[in-house]
Amino acid sequence: MCGIVGYIGFRQGDQVVISSLKRLEYRGYDSWGYAVANGKEIEIKKKVGSISAVEVKEKRAEGVTVSIGHTRWATHGKPSDINAHPHTDCDEEIAVVHNGIITNFSSLKNELISEGHIFRSETDTEVIPHLIERCYKDSKSFEEAVIKAIKFLKGSYAFVALKKDEKKLIACKYKSPLILGVGDGELIFASDVPAILEYTNRVIYLNDGDIVIAEPGKYRIINERGEVVRDIELIHWSIEDAEKSGYEHFMLKEINENPRVIEDTLGEYVTDKIELDPSFAAGISEIVIVACGTSYHAGLIGKYVIEKLAGIPVRVEYASEYNYHQIIPGRSLILGITQSGETADTLEALRAAKRMGLRTCSIVNVVGSTATKISDHVLFTRAGPEISVAATKSFIAQLIVLYIIAIKLSPLTRQEKKELIEELKSLPEKVQRILDKQHDIDEIAKKLSNFENIMYIGRGLGFPTALEGALKMKEISYIHAEGYPAGELKHGPFALLGENTPVVAVINRDETYEIMLNNIKEVKARESLVIAVSDDKDEEVDNFVDFAIKTPETLPILSPILHSVAFQLLAYFTARIRGCEIDKPRNLAKSVTVE
Amino acid sequence: MQAVILAAGEGTRMRPLTFTRPKVVLPIANRPILEHLFFSLKDAEINRVVLVVGYRDETIRDHFGEAWNGIEVEYANQRRQLGTADALKSASHLLEEEFLMMNGDAIVGAEDIRKIAERSGFALAVKEVPNPEEFGVVECEGRLVRNIVEKPEKPKSNLINAGIYRFSKEILEFVEKTPQSIRGEYEITTSIKMAIESGIEFEAVEIDEWIDIGFPWDLLKANSFFLSKIESRIDGEVEEGAHLIGDIIVGEGSVVKSGSYIEGPAVIGKNCKIGPNCYIRPSTSIGDGCHIGAAVEIKNSIIMNGTKIPHLSYLGDSIIGEKCNFGAGTKIANLRLDDKNIMVNVKNRVIDTRLRKFGAVVGDNVRTGINVTINVGTMIGDNVFIAPGAKVDGYVERNSKVF
Repeated sequence: MCGIVGYIGFRQGDQVVISSLKRLEYRGYDSWGYAVANGKEIEIKKKVGSISAVEVKEKRAEGVTVSIGHTRWATHGKPSDINAHPHTDCDEEIAVVHNGIITNFSSLKNELISEGHIFRSETDTEVIPHLIERCYKDSKSFEEAVIKAIKFLKGSYAFVALKKDEKKLIACKYKSPLILGVGDGELIFASDVPAILEYTNRVIYLNDGDIVIAEPGKYRIINERGEVVRDIELIHWSIEDAEKSGYEHFMLKEINENPRVIEDTLGEYVTDKIELDPSFAAGISEIVIVACGTSYHAGLIGKYVIEKLAGIPVRVEYASEYNYHQIIPGRSLILGITQSGETADTLEALRAAKRMGLRTCSIVNVVGSTATKISDHVLFTRAGPEISVAATKSFIAQLIVLYIIAIKLSPLTRQEKKELIEELKSLPEKVQRILDKQHDIDEIAKKLSNFENIMYIGRGLGFPTALEGALKMKEISYIHAEGYPAGELKHGPFALLGENTPVVAVINRDETYEIMLNNIKEVKARESLVIAVSDDKDEEVDNFVDFAIKTPETLPILSPILHSVAFQLLAYFTARIRGCEIDKPRNLAKSVTVE
Repeated sequence: MQAVILAAGEGTRMRPLTFTRPKVVLPIANRPILEHLFFSLKDAEINRVVLVVGYRDETIRDHFGEAWNGIEVEYANQRRQLGTADALKSASHLLEEEFLMMNGDAIVGAEDIRKIAERSGFALAVKEVPNPEEFGVVECEGRLVRNIVEKPEKPKSNLINAGIYRFSKEILEFVEKTPQSIRGEYEITTSIKMAIESGIEFEAVEIDEWIDIGFPWDLLKANSFFLSKIESRIDGEVEEGAHLIGDIIVGEGSVVKSGSYIEGPAVIGKNCKIGPNCYIRPSTSIGDGCHIGAAVEIKNSIIMNGTKIPHLSYLGDSIIGEKCNFGAGTKIANLRLDDKNIMVNVKNRVIDTRLRKFGAVVGDNVRTGINVTINVGTMIGDNVFIAPGAKVDGYVERNSKVF
């Protein structure tokens, strides 16, 4: 995810671009840049770091200004001044800001280099200005060159291009978001609505394949069939609401992004087979996962999955406890899981492993973070920036990567792997079905919100799912929630049960099913309210519980993903009913950078 | 000459009416406030208007378009209402060398506009009022403005700033340097004071006809004032047996049925069904597509487009939004039994209307069941449902249900 902006109008362009980009910071904040075409040349400024502190000097704008800007969330190439957008052609006559991934960039880049083009960055984006430069040689106009250039591109893109001597912006959209704000005598392109609301609330949501030619006070939209007309929509959100896409909280917005996150993360590693170089795990005897908090729970689910599919022993350690264990150096792979890549305890565990000569690998969401620099190998999740302190979509993305590792390292037949991959690919749609019925979960949250203790129980894969469900609940709703293996209840926690302690049970339709129903019967006998999460083909469970959250049926091994999304919503709605500060729970920080 | 009109704010003191539209399009005698100002501008031969818009600007754009009765209309966007100086700044790219600036929610007479437009250089309209302490008070030396003091405890004059200015483009230099006020806004009066300090002379021009509309009940006063100027015109159908007394406008497509008794001044919009057997009393404006049915009495009120009051109702001194539907027998009280002033809850503050008679302010799309009783000074948000027989009082939140 990145944020892009393009402006043509009467205001001071660099200022518009900078202040609009600040509204897109949630889309990326590792580096920023902007370009202004002043008629003679392109002035470019770009830098590593967050845009939030950047200010430009105010001067009275004279005539029409043309500018573009970008705030980056690195995918190809680490965050650096050079990799920051905008990118230009060889002679710095054309500049481009881009959001998306050009999948065929390396072949295009080689081709362009062989034709004599000079590349400066490691980004996929840079092929775009060079392609436009190449096409411009035999085109009559700037827009013709852009239209020719995009025919070479594969992947996803929303980009805005300018040329040093033209009062014009050209924007193209394909599978990445781009909107056009239609102001009075000014036009502004952006990745999302918050960036434009300062200037206009009249918006065109561009379609895939749309090319917009924007000139002072007027615009044309064309696609492959010719000129098209798109409706202007009115946005009544405040700027603050718009940053959350109209959702009440970032957490709810991010939970609702789960389908796209699964798709993007799968897209990173899976075509019709798994595209992952297994050498990072070659010859290992065991995997030791080190992580904290929600990432630790992802690791626990990973343990069940990797052991089951790949037959490799997995230990999961709290990163903060890892240093107190005696790990015998050997053929272990230390696998760190950290969303931010900056979690102090996880970094320390990775460093300690390194000192002992162990191989390390990290699952990380933030490109360029410390974990990516100190690990031998890095696997990225594609969750995009996560603003809410409670991890949701990044957890789901971590699970996806762990499933991919397990499938890749497993001795399953090609056909068996294919079935798993097909089912993984169906998850975005299944998660969407849960989201579409979130109102039902809100109703159940109403039952839970009055209690001060909740017990989450599960067996097998259901156990770590219960742990994560309980963590979500306690961190944002401040209800004391505890995850427990269902079979361990009678070894102690039974004493806590009763009508004041509801139980949330994870039901998985695998070898644990019958015995879980038995456990629920025992719980029910203690008069606890029981809420189950199970799949929508499971009718029997209704006879045993007070309420059931039904998720779409999937392979039992993949069920933690769907159950976890349901638990995220359950925690969210419970916290909302209780009036909690959801995005920033008391005493907690997004990434814990101290031990 | 060019006029810049500030019309970007919501006008929160006019809630609940402004939940769904900006204050400047609230109707007075069936025309938006801003349109009354446009008539004055046209008579004063202002040919170019820049509307600074923001909140719910589509309602303004839809009404005025790119030209209105020969006046060229341009728009400048001020999405966040950061004050009057900021509003002018957002129109800076459209300004002529010399221009007028005024608020869109106060109506000024054409002669007064002409008077100030005919000056040269910088000028500011002042108006004599009995209660200057509630406004920005202008202190003058001869004809020249020396200072503007916002709501002083001891006003040095009874001339207040009417919010109408004549500027040359030079003012922008001061606008750009204007610091935020204590209210957190960039105010044009601060810019003007800075200009005066640097030696620019502002002439104070006294004006006569100035209707400032602050609170909902001010709408009723303005409505009554503009209705007093109308002349009868019947474009619709008036059945035999209907009585129309005084100046009354009946719009195209409207039918006034037999037995209706209407005392002007009153205006009835297009495509309305009035009567049979209703009683409409003076100073009442009824919008387009309304239905006022049998045994309904309405007095000194504004009823907006598409509202239906079909059976057995009384309402006086009230403002009813668009597309409301009143159940049979719904009544609005407008007089306290102890004869004291009506108090109203505005922006969570209780305000004395200084009126002995005032009914209710009802937002858009409010539906009442039969025999609903609405007490004096009640404010009802938009999209409210009120169950049969309920008694409503105080402030009702928008989108709520009352039982």
